[in-house]
Amino acid sequence: MDISGRRKNETAYAKPGPARRFLKQWDIQLMALPAMLFVFVFSYIPMYGVLTAFQDYSLFRGFLGSPWVGFKHFEAFFHAPVFWDVMRNTLVISSLKLLIGFPAPILLALMLNEVRSRIFKRTVQTISYLPHFLSWVIVAGFVSSLLSTDNGSLNLLLQKLNWIEEPINFLSMPEYFWSILVATGVWKEIGFASIVYLAAIAGVDPHLYEAASIDGAGKPRQMFSITLPSIVPVVVVFLILAIGNLLNAGFEDILLLASNPILRDVSDVIDTYVYRIGIENSRYSYATAAGLFKAVISVGLLAGANYWARRSGNSLW
Amino acid sequence: MAFRKRALHLALAAALTGTAALTGCAKNEGSSSSPSPGSSAPPASSASEEAGAGFALGEQPLEFSFYGHYDWYTMPPWGEDLATKWIKENKKVNVVPVSSGGNAKQKMSTMIVSGELPDVIWMERGADVEKLRSEGMLVPFDDYLDKYPNLKKWAGESTLDMLRSPDGKIYQFPNWYTTQPNGNSGYLVNKKIYEELGSPSLETTDDLYAYLRQVKESYPDVVPFEVGQGAEGIDILTSAFAENRPYLYSSLHMLAVPSGDRLTSVFADPVFRETLQLANKLYREKLMTQDAFTQKLEQVEQKVVTGKIAVYAASSPTEFGSKGNAALSSEDPSAGYIIVWPIHKAGLDRNKIFPGDYKQLGWNVSVITKAAKDPEAIFAFLDWFTGPEGQRTIMWGPEGLYWEGTDDEEAPLFTDKFTSDPQGRDELMNSTVNFQWNGNTVYVDRSKTKFESTLPPEKRNWETRWQTEITWKTQYNTTEFVNLAPAGDSDEGIISQSVIEIYEKAKAKAVIGAKSEDEVLAVLDQAEKDAQKAGYDRLLEYKTNKWRDNLKMLNP
Amino acid sequence: MKLSTGDRVFVAAIYIALAIVGFTAFYPFWNAAVVSFNSGADTLKGGITFWPRAFTLENYRVVFEDARLIDGFVISILRTLVGTACSIAATAVFAYGMTKKELIGRKAYMVACIVTMYFSGGLIPSYLLIRELGLMNSFWVMVVPGLISVWNMIVFRTFFAGLPAGLEESAKIDGCSNWGILVRIVLPLSGPVLATLSLFTAVYHWNDWFAPSIYITNADLLPIQTKLQQILNSNIMHEQLAQMDSSASSHMGRMRSVTTKSLSMATMMVATVPILCVYPFVQKYFVKGVLIGSLKE
Repeated sequence: MDISGRRKNETAYAKPGPARRFLKQWDIQLMALPAMLFVFVFSYIPMYGVLTAFQDYSLFRGFLGSPWVGFKHFEAFFHAPVFWDVMRNTLVISSLKLLIGFPAPILLALMLNEVRSRIFKRTVQTISYLPHFLSWVIVAGFVSSLLSTDNGSLNLLLQKLNWIEEPINFLSMPEYFWSILVATGVWKEIGFASIVYLAAIAGVDPHLYEAASIDGAGKPRQMFSITLPSIVPVVVVFLILAIGNLLNAGFEDILLLASNPILRDVSDVIDTYVYRIGIENSRYSYATAAGLFKAVISVGLLAGANYWARRSGNSLW
Repeated sequence: MAFRKRALHLALAAALTGTAALTGCAKNEGSSSSPSPGSSAPPASSASEEAGAGFALGEQPLEFSFYGHYDWYTMPPWGEDLATKWIKENKKVNVVPVSSGGNAKQKMSTMIVSGELPDVIWMERGADVEKLRSEGMLVPFDDYLDKYPNLKKWAGESTLDMLRSPDGKIYQFPNWYTTQPNGNSGYLVNKKIYEELGSPSLETTDDLYAYLRQVKESYPDVVPFEVGQGAEGIDILTSAFAENRPYLYSSLHMLAVPSGDRLTSVFADPVFRETLQLANKLYREKLMTQDAFTQKLEQVEQKVVTGKIAVYAASSPTEFGSKGNAALSSEDPSAGYIIVWPIHKAGLDRNKIFPGDYKQLGWNVSVITKAAKDPEAIFAFLDWFTGPEGQRTIMWGPEGLYWEGTDDEEAPLFTDKFTSDPQGRDELMNSTVNFQWNGNTVYVDRSKTKFESTLPPEKRNWETRWQTEITWKTQYNTTEFVNLAPAGDSDEGIISQSVIEIYEKAKAKAVIGAKSEDEVLAVLDQAEKDAQKAGYDRLLEYKTNKWRDNLKMLNP
Repeated sequence: MKLSTGDRVFVAAIYIALAIVGFTAFYPFWNAAVVSFNSGADTLKGGITFWPRAFTLENYRVVFEDARLIDGFVISILRTLVGTACSIAATAVFAYGMTKKELIGRKAYMVACIVTMYFSGGLIPSYLLIRELGLMNSFWVMVVPGLISVWNMIVFRTFFAGLPAGLEESAKIDGCSNWGILVRIVLPLSGPVLATLSLFTAVYHWNDWFAPSIYITNADLLPIQTKLQQILNSNIMHEQLAQMDSSASSHMGRMRSVTTKSLSMATMMVATVPILCVYPFVQKYFVKGVLIGSLKE
């Protein structure tokens, strides 16, 4: 689709003064401004709360009564002995999630698109999104009984196949943790995440397939040269958002799957660490400081991703 | 676009001042001006002014709001079950629940910042209570204590003294306080396996080790030594290696081992080190749960209920034990569970082994906030509630159903229906369990055992039997070690958090990571170094001082 | 359409892969359903897989013991319908405005919106704001604060931008205003994305138990999720107690045929099945060629 072409006429607006131009486009401003006002009220007014990161915030004293302490909590956070471990785990885990968890639902959507039988398609579609609705507590229960050493199904299977002699203690071995975490996450969200790509695929012009198959393109070719390119704008936008989310490596999943403290060297990420150190001990300012640090980095990552995407013409701004 | 910027500044400033007004008033004058939700209590001045007379429960109506400060606590509607219905009708008391909504911490913050505290908060003893107290949000009970008989009588002086805040006053109404030992901690043994293996001696740690090996050989699909969720059983096992040593010392809740008149490092404690060496050996030889640190509670429950364990050590093994005993013995009368006398290391006195502990103060407390219009009336109710009449009613329902009349010690005389209608009784107890805010351990236990002793042995409750025979005799009084934990946001609190992290990791590494017993010691030595670096000494100093304060209060 | 051998293999591989995905996704959910219909005591013995062994409705009886659950159900449905409709309408309009390159301040608006996705003042300032606005204990507190979703706006915008430009141009020549184009051309062509985002928003509204638990104290106004959360929480109470104080746990212990596991499964079924039923209706809108059909008109 030629995006530069459809927007040609907008330069016509560029002549009169800003105020006049603004009034002239009242109709589209009326679409955006009320919403922005809304965002201002519900997101920006409460935003003064981030400043508590620079305070020793006390619930009893309130925002104005709490003493200002500068970067104390940031320093404490950066100087924590485990800071670099936690950063490394955060980045590794979320990169793995991005690398595997991001393309998986796209692939699922592409595969579903190839299915002709409507009943089969709809059934798989509906079923694959079920795990999204299972709470992590329930999922962790399943995973831990599946991987258990005594009578865990996976160990029993591997033993029956004679691949292993002794049961493997999967959930207590650091080397398996990342794989278990990522696999569980993909399994849980793949169906739900694929919905939006299915919606995008629904917008593809069917004539394109007819033309391609007349040209002799096989099914796999069609998938990669028609379907996939058509959903690129959506994919790119989600990719930018996902990159902005790199510091959110997960929380509940890690908390529940890494219940063995021996895994902490590989499982502790910013959110789980801050939860234990900050929230559980009511150190509000510390937790806020860590959150603020994350937000700054995230917006930086997002801006970087957006800059890169601008070249493909699908940036956020 | 300059005008937009200015507007933004203006609005931001307005917002800030708006909230400033709010947060400013939250400190506490707010409590008088903003009534708490649903506390349209009796005419304010009436009762507390007529000080001499006190509040006559049942004559004047009383209504207050109640908030349980736990994620998992939801107070059921008041007056919809038999017991609270009776209280509502006969004592004219109505309690309005304030729900934590599964988010106690955040719910509490919002109540504090908005100055809308509930009348009564039911919460853990310790730092949180102290914070509310030091901000002047709580009402002291000292003036009421002598006017109302029950708390003073049943809790006793030393317990009350231990509840005092640094200003010397009492702000906390205890729950399940006691003057006699109680608790369930100990070792559950699978009776059938035990008997089939010839009922070998199971007294010392060597006996235990030999028995576990025997189990492993004869019953490959049984877990010889079940240690529960989070390897709790290993904690229990520490009690076997020294006399008069509850596992509390080296557990997460204390992390300080008394030695002379000081508290010392847990990582250097010979008892703790020896225990982990044994645990490591049991793990490596597959005599212990291999999933010790990862299994969920339901997996433990399943193993115990289906008889897939030989020995189970836990702080409350009776819970799954009684379920398992019922399930197993219904299929095979010779199957079931027994509890054995606590294991000890050869050479120690078996009567000085304490696998569990109890505190006179009990579990948690109720505090009355300054939002309460008539705190004395609320105290009067709580005092009645913890007394014999209140306890009887909330435990076993109103008179005439499961009990009728009382003996000379005010214990209820149970009716035949009590034994013949266990289902209805359980249903009643289920509906009132969430109202047991001020449990009176001594009264309730005495009433229960009195009744049990009138029954023939085979009809006695499995749990009560083992409690009276073993577990209550083997719990250690650790009241002197309460309130050692520093506030989470203090310097000591921050150290404490680091030490806890080091401890958790070291314990897991020592038990399931180490390849030999020497390696266990190396892990613990490293943990000791890390902990010292994090400031463990300072924390121990803090705890030692707190402990000495406690001793002074207990033995004035 | 005839398929070549290569295509056949390709399609067969896809069917197999999808069947595997489907089964792994289905089994845990099915098992949860089975456990919810099985007696708790029996479930403890293990080995419940595809079919209940000791069928019972006891778990559901306990969930529905609280009569007010039905009110919660009504509140939840109302909230989901009203909240989704309002939010989708408001956000779609916003997103369409944001597709206009000539919109003055477009970039600033976008950046301002994106910042809110990462920077948040936390619960306490929001709580004070909601209180000042008089939304406490009101049905609207579940609808109003979530009216504009930045994430949804971005997705809408991306899809709107992908619509053929020719449509809008010709409508403009016919004298259609921007609002007219949105209502008569853009929205009718956006079935799939409208359906998708409505589903996402509905799921969010249906599942959200946190906001009501903070902002609503009147039990009659609580949605079912918050109530179920409470039922679930009070059932784990005993587990929690055992770890706190053994005296308290021995006194407050209770014996029930319902176990935490079976109850939580039943609770989960009650909480999720209604919202699960929405998806099949949404799929109706994922039909190809909607767009092309209208182009030819």
